[in-house]
Amino acid sequence: MPSLIEIVSPTTAPATIAWIGAVLLLAGEIAALMSLPNLKRVIIVSTVAEFGYILIGIGIGGASGDTGAFMHLGYQVAMRGLVIASGWYIIRRTGSTNLNDLVGSGQRMPLAATLFGFGVFSVMGLSPFKGSFSKFLILYAAIERGQWLLATLATVATIVAAVYYMIIVQRVCLERPAQRIELQPAPRLALPIAVVLAALTVLISLWPAPFQHFAEAFAGLTGPSGVPEFEAPWSTLVLIPYIGGFVVYGLGWVSPRLRDVGAVVLAIATVAAVAVSSDLDATSKLFALLFSGISALMIVYSTSYMATAEWANRYYFFAFLMIGSLVGLTTAHELGNFYVFWELMTWTSYFLVIHEQNKKALNAGLVYFLMCAGGAYVMQYGILVVHASIGSFEFSVVAEKIGSIPPMIGLLAGFCFLVGFAVKAGLVPLQSWLPLAHPAAPSSVSGPLSGILTKAGIFGFVKILFAVFGVETLRRFALGGFDLNSLLLVLGCATLIYGEVRALFEPELKRMLAFSTLAQVGEIVAILAIGTALATDAALLHVTNHAVMKTLLFYAAGAFIMRTGIKQIDGLAGLGRMMPWTAGAYALASFAVMGLPPFSGFTSKFFMIYAAASSGYYAVAALMLIGGVLGVVYYSRVVSVLFFHPYRGRSDVTESPIGMLAAIGVLAAAIVFGGLFPAYQLDLIARVGELVALKGALAAGALPSLVMSWPLGATIAMVGAILVLLVGRSSAAWAGRLAVVVLVAALAGIIVEYGRYDMLSLAFAALIAGVGALNMLHSTAYLEHSHAQGRFFAAFTVMIAGLIGLCSAKDIFTFFGFWELMSSWALWVAISHEETAEARREGFKYFLFNTVGASFMFLGLAMVAANTGTFELAAVGPALLKLPVLAVAPAVTMVFLGLVMKAAMLCIRIDYQMHPALAPTPVSGYISAVLLKSGPWGVLKLFVLFGGTALFSKLGGPINGQPVFMEVISVIAGVTIVYAGAMAVLQNGIKLLLIYSTVCQLGYVLMAVSFGTSLGVTGGLMHFVNHMLLKDTLFLAAGAAMVASHASMLDELGGLGRRMPITFGCFLLSGLSLAGVPPLNGFASKWIIFEASFQSGHWLLGAAAMISSLFTLAAVMKFAHAAFMGAPTKKALAAKEAPIAMVVPMLILTTLSVVIGLVPGLLLVPISAIVGDLGFAPIAATFTGPLPGLEGWSPSVLSVMVAIVALILVPWLRLGHRAGIVRSHIHESGAGDLPPAETRIGAGALYETPDAIIRRALFAPKPADKGEHA
Amino acid sequence: MTSQLATLVAVLIFPGGLFALVLGLALKGADRRVAARLQGRVGPPLVQPFFDLIKLGFKRTMVPTEASETVFLAAPLVGSVAMLIGAALVPIAGVYAPDTQLGNLLVLLYLLAVPGICLMIAGSASGSPYGAIGFSREMALMLAYEGPIVLIVAAVGMRTGMAEGHWVTFSLTEIVRYQQTHGWFLFDPILWPAVAAFAFFYPANLGIVPFDIPEAETEVLEGPLLEYSGPALGLFKVMSALKAVVVLGLGIALFLPLPFTGPLAFVGWLAEIIVLMLVGVTALRVSAGRMRIDQAFVFFLKWPLLLAIASVAAVALAAGGLS
Repeated sequence: MPSLIEIVSPTTAPATIAWIGAVLLLAGEIAALMSLPNLKRVIIVSTVAEFGYILIGIGIGGASGDTGAFMHLGYQVAMRGLVIASGWYIIRRTGSTNLNDLVGSGQRMPLAATLFGFGVFSVMGLSPFKGSFSKFLILYAAIERGQWLLATLATVATIVAAVYYMIIVQRVCLERPAQRIELQPAPRLALPIAVVLAALTVLISLWPAPFQHFAEAFAGLTGPSGVPEFEAPWSTLVLIPYIGGFVVYGLGWVSPRLRDVGAVVLAIATVAAVAVSSDLDATSKLFALLFSGISALMIVYSTSYMATAEWANRYYFFAFLMIGSLVGLTTAHELGNFYVFWELMTWTSYFLVIHEQNKKALNAGLVYFLMCAGGAYVMQYGILVVHASIGSFEFSVVAEKIGSIPPMIGLLAGFCFLVGFAVKAGLVPLQSWLPLAHPAAPSSVSGPLSGILTKAGIFGFVKILFAVFGVETLRRFALGGFDLNSLLLVLGCATLIYGEVRALFEPELKRMLAFSTLAQVGEIVAILAIGTALATDAALLHVTNHAVMKTLLFYAAGAFIMRTGIKQIDGLAGLGRMMPWTAGAYALASFAVMGLPPFSGFTSKFFMIYAAASSGYYAVAALMLIGGVLGVVYYSRVVSVLFFHPYRGRSDVTESPIGMLAAIGVLAAAIVFGGLFPAYQLDLIARVGELVALKGALAAGALPSLVMSWPLGATIAMVGAILVLLVGRSSAAWAGRLAVVVLVAALAGIIVEYGRYDMLSLAFAALIAGVGALNMLHSTAYLEHSHAQGRFFAAFTVMIAGLIGLCSAKDIFTFFGFWELMSSWALWVAISHEETAEARREGFKYFLFNTVGASFMFLGLAMVAANTGTFELAAVGPALLKLPVLAVAPAVTMVFLGLVMKAAMLCIRIDYQMHPALAPTPVSGYISAVLLKSGPWGVLKLFVLFGGTALFSKLGGPINGQPVFMEVISVIAGVTIVYAGAMAVLQNGIKLLLIYSTVCQLGYVLMAVSFGTSLGVTGGLMHFVNHMLLKDTLFLAAGAAMVASHASMLDELGGLGRRMPITFGCFLLSGLSLAGVPPLNGFASKWIIFEASFQSGHWLLGAAAMISSLFTLAAVMKFAHAAFMGAPTKKALAAKEAPIAMVVPMLILTTLSVVIGLVPGLLLVPISAIVGDLGFAPIAATFTGPLPGLEGWSPSVLSVMVAIVALILVPWLRLGHRAGIVRSHIHESGAGDLPPAETRIGAGALYETPDAIIRRALFAPKPADKGEHA
Repeated sequence: MTSQLATLVAVLIFPGGLFALVLGLALKGADRRVAARLQGRVGPPLVQPFFDLIKLGFKRTMVPTEASETVFLAAPLVGSVAMLIGAALVPIAGVYAPDTQLGNLLVLLYLLAVPGICLMIAGSASGSPYGAIGFSREMALMLAYEGPIVLIVAAVGMRTGMAEGHWVTFSLTEIVRYQQTHGWFLFDPILWPAVAAFAFFYPANLGIVPFDIPEAETEVLEGPLLEYSGPALGLFKVMSALKAVVVLGLGIALFLPLPFTGPLAFVGWLAEIIVLMLVGVTALRVSAGRMRIDQAFVFFLKWPLLLAIASVAAVALAAGGLS
């Protein structure tokens, strides 16, 4: 291919004639636009304007100019002739030239309208066959000669023309008739002429070569011409769907069923062809697989979705043409074909968008088409600039030479490409088509539209800007004025914010999803713009994942709309009951899109944030996390509506039909698979990253490990959870039993794999599974008469799986993955179980709070991994030690902030910070007792892993021999101990009281652990276990009381103790132990904590901790009095002792507490080993010996003494029993006829004075009495 | 094993157990008699509390209909046990040093709360509204006076511990020993606020006028004790008598342990405790009127707490500030 010119510069002055042409063209097109209502006049004026093009071509001259001018003339004869002939026919028959009267001609005169539409599109340069490229040639000539202004004017004119052409086509051919019109007799010749011209148009579109040679000859060129080769032959990959589209269309006339079968076969054949194809480079292969794969599912989905729709044949026809053009885009190895397919993609998808042909769809389609076509025209300009500078369209040649073109030119070309791609991807400010088009299109199309068509824009960025141009070249272009990468970054971030915020306020489901697409695309582009190989990989992983997730979401949304006809989110209330599989898949995809494990979205989100952090783009990472929090808000809202609201719709709504379900199922499977086994995707993607790195002269960073490593225990729990869910569909009772068995098996799994855990984590994991089994047993009775038990048991089990996995984590990805798994969606589902408005609200709040907390940790961990360059937790510590303080401090702060938030420290907004009181009590208890311990556990584990005192002292300190960093945590915990303890005293809600108390006790654990001394850690760990046993007992007892009495406020209870003696006994013993009554186990661990506080110089914290046990005592006593003692209320009178499934767990826990109280060595000996294992000086502990610390006392001795003294006193007490115990009425000062309820002093009436003073001190006003939130 | 045996003796015979019981009842007797004299009455004989106790032992046990029997009857038992053990945890300067295995000052401090807790449980479990009110007041009072005592203990512990080269000590033995060589903390200006705070603490802890609010006979008819009778009530009397010994003994150990050994030390200690009982308890309760619970609560937040905080701060500053 001969190179036309070496360097572009405006050497020749443009001929006047060209300028006349340009002015004629632009003025003409504008005039045509302005004469719009009159079709006849528009056609005439635009025909005249078109001559402007020819004049430009001739005026510029040269091979391209002349050839282009003559070709254009020829094309115009055929195509414009077709427009004129068919237009004339339509106008004559309608009897009006007014566009408003011509509306709906498509239905009155299908053939003529089709020909007319075909003509108009051809004139614009579009058709199912290749479009004309004479304009291309003329523009090229202008650019080649350096006539930028001429070229620009012509491009603008083309865009103007597109506007009125589209309006005309839509109104005449596509819109439904607004009025009935008597048709006039047809003109005789018009239609035959049009048919002939149409045939001619097809011919010269399909085989332009002879026609081109003819034009060249006419222009006086001989031999190997200087006219550039615009197109290469189409690849077979394109031809399969393309020709197949025509075949399917034909089949449709024979039999719809046959058509559907054919369509599916064809779609699968396309995927297969792409999969086995070997001549695609890595980028193309990835996108081709993605495009064809999602498209195949679109066809499968459509077989059901379109089963009864109008114009299904046309739908399939354009669908396959779109598939062909998408695949074609990836097969292009030169800019000509790339552009052709780009245009075809827009055009074919346009027909899918407007498929329903209503006003909304047409309007959306118009905007869609105009914006994308406009963008494409701009891109075309860029393509021509490139060719003019380099002399070739071939990617390989461009890639080779692009490095040497002047920055200004390169920047212009790059910017043009960027605009074209940005429109398609939907970047702000070019996004306005997207939220219109996605909801307006049939749902079968909106999925791929969001999922893959926007990705075509991304493909453009990657392929052209990064793989062909290269990052290095883009940097060089920045010399021309501004940096395209930065622009992309800004646009990406702007789009992200815009999308998230709009989605947040969007009441319509599909529009919400569309805005979310914007946000996700924004993320992808922002990450892509970072420009490293790692960032490219990350962005591409999310491209593939988002395509799958968003398609699923749209498909499920489509199913909802199809079955109910409702588009608003609010209208879908409770639909999860009627369409469990579809809604379930929707929920799954929502969780994935929120970036929650173990789904694919989590992997790519993690990767993206890691990539951003790796390049120091912390702000981008933070922005993504903020966006993620917003995402949680609006995605969880829909899931909540689907599952946690009562169903109010029609009773005949059924599950989605099989074809839709199949597509949704495959996508759901892909989401899970992608989350668990990302290696296959990463393998494809890594090669793209290598390409980009190679081109951009970047270091191709090794991919981080993005596989969560599942320990046996967590695997058992996770698989078990799925089984529980399935079993729960038929039998709730068996699901409960199975869940208990699963957790016992998980415990066994942990023990079998003991080598996988460090000692601390092994102990925690064993407690997690063990206490989990007890709570699960309790909940089988607690929920006996509840709904959706299987769902609850499964979610509960997933939480536990997350916790077990967390314990086993050895790398950062696994750690954070399980962290999210334990505290995100499963937890939310479990605690929102009651499905009341309050439960939903409170559950959501906690979900949101957890997300925020996890986001801090996420960013921190990403920074740690990025700065140290390792994911291995074991290797992080030494690497951190070598880093400068400024690199370490923010990362570590974020991580620990997340951990401290998990433990709900500084509980000023308890309703956000803690699990809601409305959650089923066994899960409340579990969260309080076990799950939240992950906070202190994490602090301890990461403190050690990150380098212990050596590292943290670098960050500041020491105070009292403790690094400032840890000192701050201690103080936060200390303040919380007092604050939460005092708040607990104020509570009258059964669970709120316990919840505040939990925070207070977590404060003890966290404070002690953060002292970082042997004694502190020992005391913290001992209280860790003791509180686990004690608080769980309290919750389970409270739960038993609630089930027995159906009460949620303490004031509704009273006198239960006589009716539920075992429950009461367990409660009182555990409560007093928690309050620190010697010699019970709760006191032993608190004693060590007090000692540790004072011995490490924290006398203020120590005193605060000691005083706060009084608050615990007051709270526990209030509870005990109000619920179990005192006079009974009406609700309490009917109560009976809890069923065996509730009593057994309480008894086991209480027994353990008592045993530990007697022989604390049982805990201390293992804790001593753990403390040593963590690298602290181990404390001396024996099974029977005293507690550690100065003047350690021995609870065993004290207990024995207590027992002896008590035994001596018992006979004295029994003296009074000789004649039997007399049951007497209480003294009521003579008022003997008062019923017990009248003489009762309820929880609200206790502690009046302290209550008022604490309220004043803590600014806690007395709340209006409303349920649990009082 | 011998140490355990010694501990058992300490708990059952001396200085806890039998000895403490007799001492406590005798102190109660003296208190009643002296109080009567101060009020111009004759008063009961010194041994009246012993008679009362024996008589109660032969009464029948009555339990209110709505009460949870086990808890109702266990409350006085647990309270008495706690105080019997507590008595063995209080050192007598020069005579007795408690076994560290049994517990230290912190254990004693928490055991000292157990009688209060038992009274609360008793009041609550009885099902009586008077009991419930008594329970509520007891808790409020505890919230008021526990803060100061914790800080007092911390101040004394730190004063000793810092002088001995570590942060703090919670060994009463060590505190006593330190004062024996360095003089009473009563005369240590830095601990004067603590002494003052303790002077407010013990009447509240012992539940005497002006802080007998939970049991106020004229208002809530002895509150938690209203429904008790027979041996159970007797056990509460025992608990109360023992508590006087423990609290006063604690005060002595904290602020004014005698620097002697042998019989002289024991006699001196007895003298101290009797004087404290008659001056601190009897004279106070006959000369003051009862406060309302809200007055008492605010009072404790205002004075003893501030004093105690001042004391701890002074100790910390005296030892060279925070670090």
